[in-house]
Amino acid sequence: MNLKKFIVPAVVLAMGTASFSAYAAEKVVKIGNILPLSGPSASVGIQGKQAREMAVDEINKAGGIKALGGAKLKLLFADSKGDPTTGVTETERFISTEKVSIVTGAWNSSVTYPSTQVAERYGVPFVVPVSVRDTITERGFKNVFRIAAKDSWWTRDQFRFLSDMQKEFKTPIKKVAFVYENGDWGTGFAEKWRELAKAAGYQVVLDEPYPSTASDLTPVVLKLKRSNPDVVFMTSNAADAILLTKTMTDLKVNVKAIVTSGGGHADPSYLAAVGKSAEYLFDIVEWETDLNRPGLKETNEKFKKLYGYNLTGEAVDAYASMYLVKDVLERAKSTDPNALRAALASTNLCGGKTGLLAYNCIQFDQTGQNRNASLVIVQVRSGKDGKMERITVWPKNVRRAGYKVVFPQPNK
Amino acid sequence: MIGYIESVINGILMGSIYGLTAVGLTLIFGVMKVVNFAHGSILMVGMFAAYWFITLTGVNPYLALVVVVPLLYFFGYYMQKIVIKPIFEAEKHVREPITVIIVTTGIWYVLDNLALLVFGAEFRVAQTSVTGKMVEVAEMYFPLAKIIGTGITLLLGVYLYWFLKHSRMGKAVRATSLDREAATLMGIKQSRIYNIVFGMGCACCGVAACVLVPFYYVYPTVGVPFDIKAFVIVVLGGLGSIPGAILGGVIIGIIETVGAQFMAATWTEMLIYAFFLVVLFVKPSGLFGLRQDY
Repeated sequence: MNLKKFIVPAVVLAMGTASFSAYAAEKVVKIGNILPLSGPSASVGIQGKQAREMAVDEINKAGGIKALGGAKLKLLFADSKGDPTTGVTETERFISTEKVSIVTGAWNSSVTYPSTQVAERYGVPFVVPVSVRDTITERGFKNVFRIAAKDSWWTRDQFRFLSDMQKEFKTPIKKVAFVYENGDWGTGFAEKWRELAKAAGYQVVLDEPYPSTASDLTPVVLKLKRSNPDVVFMTSNAADAILLTKTMTDLKVNVKAIVTSGGGHADPSYLAAVGKSAEYLFDIVEWETDLNRPGLKETNEKFKKLYGYNLTGEAVDAYASMYLVKDVLERAKSTDPNALRAALASTNLCGGKTGLLAYNCIQFDQTGQNRNASLVIVQVRSGKDGKMERITVWPKNVRRAGYKVVFPQPNK
Repeated sequence: MIGYIESVINGILMGSIYGLTAVGLTLIFGVMKVVNFAHGSILMVGMFAAYWFITLTGVNPYLALVVVVPLLYFFGYYMQKIVIKPIFEAEKHVREPITVIIVTTGIWYVLDNLALLVFGAEFRVAQTSVTGKMVEVAEMYFPLAKIIGTGITLLLGVYLYWFLKHSRMGKAVRATSLDREAATLMGIKQSRIYNIVFGMGCACCGVAACVLVPFYYVYPTVGVPFDIKAFVIVVLGGLGSIPGAILGGVIIGIIETVGAQFMAATWTEMLIYAFFLVVLFVKPSGLFGLRQDY
């Protein structure tokens, strides 16, 4: 009896809200966002949420979507907790209950992978700002569009960087060495390096996996020194990155360049620990705050004022994804999924607010992958205060203004 | 060829430092018949002590020995007295007290996590006057810090050998190690000997810590890779034998460094354990182990 008393008004209220939102749908475009807002990857999830909110606020203040009579964007957030099952349920809810026009997310590849499958089934466009797993855009889906670079492009860009450097500095590279931790990550990178080296015609003089838990890496460095390579590619966790860098300096291993793969070499405590030993090293990252892009400084300042920290790679991709959504809605002139999908597929969004990314334009290929997405290479240099600094050097169009790349690195 | 000589010498240098990290473990086991699982953590405590001392005062890194070694001695002495002794007494009629091993495991977890809490998961490297200094001999380079470390290892080995063989206290320690009851009947206070031995074992970790800090990183779980090696070294050299521990360390150092020149570094670990198994088959008590112990 009591229960009935409660349920009836609740149902009435729910119907009321539903009809109200149906009425309001004329003026609002709903965007469903799945992000890890709690759990181990919560910090990146929150960065993505805040960047989206800032972008949408800007878009709405500037008059919303003009092609839809000034319709405002409305963000809906769901917490995936980094859990695939939750991601799938929330995507279902967004599409069938909330009737969102576009879904975005979900950072964790393991969540994005099954969630995009749901969107594909319903035929609703799913924009993926960042999620690295290659196969997300390799399943022949029509509704999945990824902005950031995929996993295999990390190694691709390391080699592109090397060939660009050779051209720029007219220093030929012949012999390369691979030194990598023997886990999934390191051996996966090494596999791709082998193919790329073969295609580029480099001679591989050393292909050396080592255990990340090793207490001493002098043996590996001795071997590396004897193989006498021009360039060393490395994939390391923090502790082994420290041991390798220090031992290579101590044993005076002279190479033209060291190219590393993020991970341990990108760990903030790595640079603090090895100091000058890391000088001239090249590391690959998604994005760096010192990129030479118009408007980046102002946007970063605004973001910092709002949320108290600098923009990150995740935040910039999320920010750009909202401007992509705006651009798509303007061109589709409707919220019909078919029109949106067609507009997304023919995207050619250059400059403007998306210009904060490390590359110029967003354009999707057949698989829905942004074909222009690229990674960034930084060079480690000691600053005026003796602190080590990461300076963006590649691609050339984003190189820090006035910075002269040191290539090949001087002998120790 | 010169490359291989360089490898062998580097192997000996790093190996004797491995041996040094194992001396404390073998000493404690030899006397107390307790496998000290907190060994790596005590090494870590020593490394943090040495790191802070060197970084804050900026003196010669080996001066840290004067501070860190006594500090670790008292740390070990009171840890045995306050934490381990009560457990030991409950099990005093057992030859190899199992519960004590579990207690040392507990100490390991507490120390590692305490360090994580206090110092954070940051890698630290001390900048000292010997850091990065190399000695060049005929186009071969050897780190000065490791050469000094090898010297310190030998000195410590000789001193401990003399101490156990000839000093009055050393004789009491050996007597307790051979037969607890008989030693007690001769008027040797067993619990005091245990406190001292545990303190000395920890002090050896302090020496190893001061040797490592000039060229190694400091981290809350830095003891773990050394811990595993130390167990292998101690069994290889013979449980309780100090020359055995140092020699065992050198052997492992050589296998690791020279082996890596012929195969991927991942495989040298396999090689170490294969050699270890062969020794256990041929001489189960280890290279210098006493037969009657097993």
